Amino acid sequence: MQRALVAVTVIAAVAGVGLALLTGVEPVLGALALTVVAALALARMSGRQGGDLPLALLFYGGIAAGFLLTARAGGGQTAVLGLLFGSPFNLSWRQVGVVVVLAGLVVLVVAAVYRQLVAMAFDEPSARVAGIPTSGLSLALTVLVALVVVAGMSTVGLLLISALLVVPVAAAAQLAGSYRATLAIASATGAVSALVGLSASYYADLAPGAAVVVTAIGLYALAGLAAGVRGRLAVRP
Amino acid sequence: MRPVSSPVLELDGVTAGYGRAPVLVDLSLRLAAGELTAVVGPNGAGKTTLVRLALGLLRPQRGTVRLFGTDVTRFRDWSRVGYVPQRAETSSTLPMSVDEVVRSGLAGQLRGLRRLTSHHRERVEHVLDVMDLQAVRRQRVTTLSGGQQQRALIARALVTSPGLLFLDEPTTGIDASAKVALREALEHLVGVEGISVVYISHDPEGAAGLAARTLEVRDGVVREVRPSALSGL
Repeated sequence: MQRALVAVTVIAAVAGVGLALLTGVEPVLGALALTVVAALALARMSGRQGGDLPLALLFYGGIAAGFLLTARAGGGQTAVLGLLFGSPFNLSWRQVGVVVVLAGLVVLVVAAVYRQLVAMAFDEPSARVAGIPTSGLSLALTVLVALVVVAGMSTVGLLLISALLVVPVAAAAQLAGSYRATLAIASATGAVSALVGLSASYYADLAPGAAVVVTAIGLYALAGLAAGVRGRLAVRP
Repeated sequence: MRPVSSPVLELDGVTAGYGRAPVLVDLSLRLAAGELTAVVGPNGAGKTTLVRLALGLLRPQRGTVRLFGTDVTRFRDWSRVGYVPQRAETSSTLPMSVDEVVRSGLAGQLRGLRRLTSHHRERVEHVLDVMDLQAVRRQRVTTLSGGQQQRALIARALVTSPGLLFLDEPTTGIDASAKVALREALEHLVGVEGISVVYISHDPEGAAGLAARTLEVRDGVVREVRPSALSGL
């Protein structure tokens, strides 16, 4: 469900930007609105109908709507490619400000509901019995994913932001012994990936989003190697 | 069924199920404080439905369910109720330490940025002691044996000092020594800490000698039985 959520959120952001371009609204707001709507629709549709059909409908519907709306708004292929692959070296200070504010908001929300998120991640029925409003928390999680996708849209681009949602966490999970350590290592992995990827991109004239994600995958492989070595050392008498 | 005083859980004339076909029919039941009640029956008989009703996760089609005297639909003091699932829904790759699992039991009480109080910390230490988990508290819960994982789940349910504890199939997938450890822990919880325990199992032997009452669920009907009368579950 969470993987489906990321995919749908990313694609809904494309449609949201198209809608924003058409109506003259700030693209970030358009993307945020449609990602939340799509994530809620996915949750509702998945409850009624199992399988991958809700995901497929929203995914392809989002792509189609995004391209139709962007084309209708007069945005050419360049605008669409800019959204898909990002352009971190061409950000305005205003866009940087939006990313900083969104990132701060995500940190605040995670800090406020951290314990509840941990309980729900471990076992949702038990969390519900403990009096945690799991439906509301899922909604908060959805909005968080939407915020991250929107924040990443103008940097690594929509196609690669989902990779940055998954790969650093996967890398951290191989090394960490706790949820808290996973959060810390994943954040550090994401930051190092961005720093190394963008530096490589700047000096070697590479596509920035792709360089960031390839660095993240390299760190994932290194983490796997380190976990393997640690495991072998642990079983040695 | 025999009347009991100070019931922690009451069901009056409850009919419940999924869709049109009821799983439990016209069920009335009272569970007393400080007792271990075994609920046994074959798979699919309605044991889980009974638990879901008691925890407010399923609404009855008819009748009322009360926890500590309050209708379950209006019950808010969930720290008084502990629930130990048969298996947590967690992914095997989720990196969560035993300590974090136990502390997550307090998430319903600690909203926002509230920090653990000294009382909470003492309680965490106490349940780790009772469940014999101190030595593995920093380890990932998914790396533990089935019995240790089961004890971690019980510790998490106990951390809020509940008066009523539900154990759903607690002996599934654990070895003989873990069953002995679980039995000793339950004796302590009921005998020393005075917690009411509802022990749900398809295996009537699991709670033999521990249960003050044994209820058999079969074909949508619940009846009180003597453990020796159970067979063929």
